[in-house]
Amino acid sequence: MLYRVMDKRELPALVRAFMESYEVVAPVKRGSGYIFDVIGSPEEIELDYTQTASSPKKYLMPPTETLMKFDANMNLVEDFIEQVTPRVIFGVHTCDINALNRLDVALIGGKYVDPYYQARRDATIVVGISCVPNENCFCHLWGADEAQFGYDLFLHDIGDKYLVSMSNVEATNILEAACELSEATDEDRIAFRQATRVRQSAFNKDIPDVQDVAMLMDVFHSDPFWEELGKKCLSCSACASVCPTCFCFDIRDVLTPDGKTGERQRTWDACTNPGFAMVTGGHNFRPTGRERVRHRMYHKLNGFFVNHDRMLCVGCGRCVTACKTGINPIEVLRFFKRKGADHAK
Amino acid sequence: MQSNMSRGIIEVDALREATPSMSGKEMLLGNAYRPWPARITSMRDLTANEKLVEMRFIDERVREAFVHEPGQFLELSLFGVGEAPISITSSPTKQGFVELCIRRAGTVTGALHSMHAGDIVGIRGPFGRGFPVDKFRGNDVLIVAGGLGIAPVRSLINYIHDNRSDFGKVTIVYGSRTPSDIMFRDQFEMWRHRKDFELYLTVDQPDDTWDGEVGVVTEPMKRLDFNPANTYGVVCGPPIMYKFVVQVMREKNIDYDHIYLDFERHMKCGMGKCGHCQIGHQYCCIDGPVFNYWEAKNIQGSM
Ligand SMILES: Cc1cc2nc3c(=O)[nH]c(=O)nc-3n(C[C@H](O)[C@H](O)[C@H](O)COP(=O)(O)OP(=O)(O)OC[C@H]3O[C@@H](n4cnc5c(N)ncnc54)[C@H](O)[C@@H]3O)c2cc1C
Ligand code: SF4
Ligand code: SF4
Ligand code: FES
Repeated sequence: MLYRVMDKRELPALVRAFMESYEVVAPVKRGSGYIFDVIGSPEEIELDYTQTASSPKKYLMPPTETLMKFDANMNLVEDFIEQVTPRVIFGVHTCDINALNRLDVALIGGKYVDPYYQARRDATIVVGISCVPNENCFCHLWGADEAQFGYDLFLHDIGDKYLVSMSNVEATNILEAACELSEATDEDRIAFRQATRVRQSAFNKDIPDVQDVAMLMDVFHSDPFWEELGKKCLSCSACASVCPTCFCFDIRDVLTPDGKTGERQRTWDACTNPGFAMVTGGHNFRPTGRERVRHRMYHKLNGFFVNHDRMLCVGCGRCVTACKTGINPIEVLRFFKRKGADHAK
Repeated sequence: MQSNMSRGIIEVDALREATPSMSGKEMLLGNAYRPWPARITSMRDLTANEKLVEMRFIDERVREAFVHEPGQFLELSLFGVGEAPISITSSPTKQGFVELCIRRAGTVTGALHSMHAGDIVGIRGPFGRGFPVDKFRGNDVLIVAGGLGIAPVRSLINYIHDNRSDFGKVTIVYGSRTPSDIMFRDQFEMWRHRKDFELYLTVDQPDDTWDGEVGVVTEPMKRLDFNPANTYGVVCGPPIMYKFVVQVMREKNIDYDHIYLDFERHMKCGMGKCGHCQIGHQYCCIDGPVFNYWEAKNIQGSM
């Protein structure tokens, strides 16, 4: 990976340069927390944010989006919403970059490409920023504390400067035109090593590091634990909507008031919704919270892993805050630890 | 990243309207959410609640590119109402047309029941992994269907019939609720009469006309004699049926991976994106809907 060093004071110039050609989205303060939102000036950006309440996935897969417009009488497609806004998502943590890579696998990978997601992904520049974990972060357990790919620029904080990894020509051109870059010195490299060590030692040690999680999801599949956890679920979908890797959706038709035309839309859906796995005739393959919560965790910690060699959880900790009844992957890890099946460090 | 991006809006090629230069395959796969118009060419009642509907794509390129395997399904689209996954019940050997056997079950299927020949519907697909007919070739096949489960296996039955000499002994065990729920009875009886297939019909609730067997499909199965070494089993029916049918097949020593199960799940996209059809670590719509029993045993929550 190509990398250069940039003075932190040059950051506003970089953001302004991006703003000339793109819509720029970045972490900003709202109330007592942070969210990703469109910015009007570089000063709004809060690069030291701990975690945003929800992830940047909404810019690649909006909560509701139109797939096509139709003529209901003729039963024909009238038009597609075929336009996307070129956008820079600025200040993305490694967990969320790794989450985008997983969404890529789910939505672009395989036999069928999702052209709506792909169009947005192609029109998006991702600028990453290094971070220090908060008490709910466990990205390191899934190897999501580093981003190997999936970003265009990555800013590693090394004190007064950033060590910038550059992986995309267009973003690099803008960076080089806007900022004075220098070659990294030995001092910079040492500062980078130290920053990495600080991050690694800051993870919450109360979150157990359990081996063979995917296997354990199978082995303890019938354990009463899932009943206990599942019966607390309110089916509110908060977990799935804040989760950067949850991508499930519903498709529905919405008619205009005259009933002649309308839109086919997709909206976020979640496997914790009671009707998610119900089929005609009323048979429900996941009838209670037990099966639904277990399936959500199973897909994240086993299903996706056995197919794609990585968890569908990046340990961002958002669901730990969002779920009011304490259902989250950390609780699953604690359960495995209680079962004595761990080799905790 | 797309080049020549600038602030504002960019157009997405894959979402454009079909151009004259597009091939049928590009039309079907470029944006697989897009249904293509097909005309209903015929429609007839099979039972009080089920209709056999024949459809034909309007665009010739799509008609030629839409080639299915027995056991695959499509997404039937009625704009303003919604979409429903429906098995293709005709054999791939019948080209240019698709036949669907549709039970009135809710909004989409209900709306379709009130349509007529000449009306236009939308179709996308074909989707899923069907029956491995190449493996079946040269072997005996035991097909067990319950209720609407006959719809997807009929494409297999028709395919076998069209290539009859390629297959060994073929036995069909088909259970229905009542005699008037039996679909395609005339055709099946005719084939039985011609000794193309062995046929066992059962019903749960007989009426005055019924002189056949009463009870569950596993009863006639238990009496059957077959050589497990060269027999493939096929099962499709209501969720409750699989466990019992598979049990009999296993008792008869048909190997785990010689038993093929056609599953139903809630489906929205049909193409491995929306997540609705997940079973354990698999997607029913792309990894299935046909799984062999060995695969199914390895899928949490499959049966
Ligand atoms: C692979 C596959 C192949 C199929 N093949 C055939 C076939 O060949 N022929 C055929 O007739 N059918 C087939 N089906 C079933 C068919 O897809 C459904 O009957 C159809 O989707 C019903 O749609 P609808 O809009 O008519 O009913 P809906 O109005 O959507 O639902 C009808 C009923 O189903 C239940 N239901 C369904 N979804 C939900 C939900 N999300 N929440 C709550 N309740 C729900 C309810 O009890 C409701 O009353 C197949 C299904 C699959 C997955
Ligand atoms: S499951 Fe929870 S911790 Fe894991 S990626 Fe989703 S929101 Fe983050
Ligand atoms: S797990 Fe928690 S956040 Fe998710 S649906 Fe259930 S109660 Fe809501
Ligand atoms: S039906 Fe959407 S993923 Fe299978």
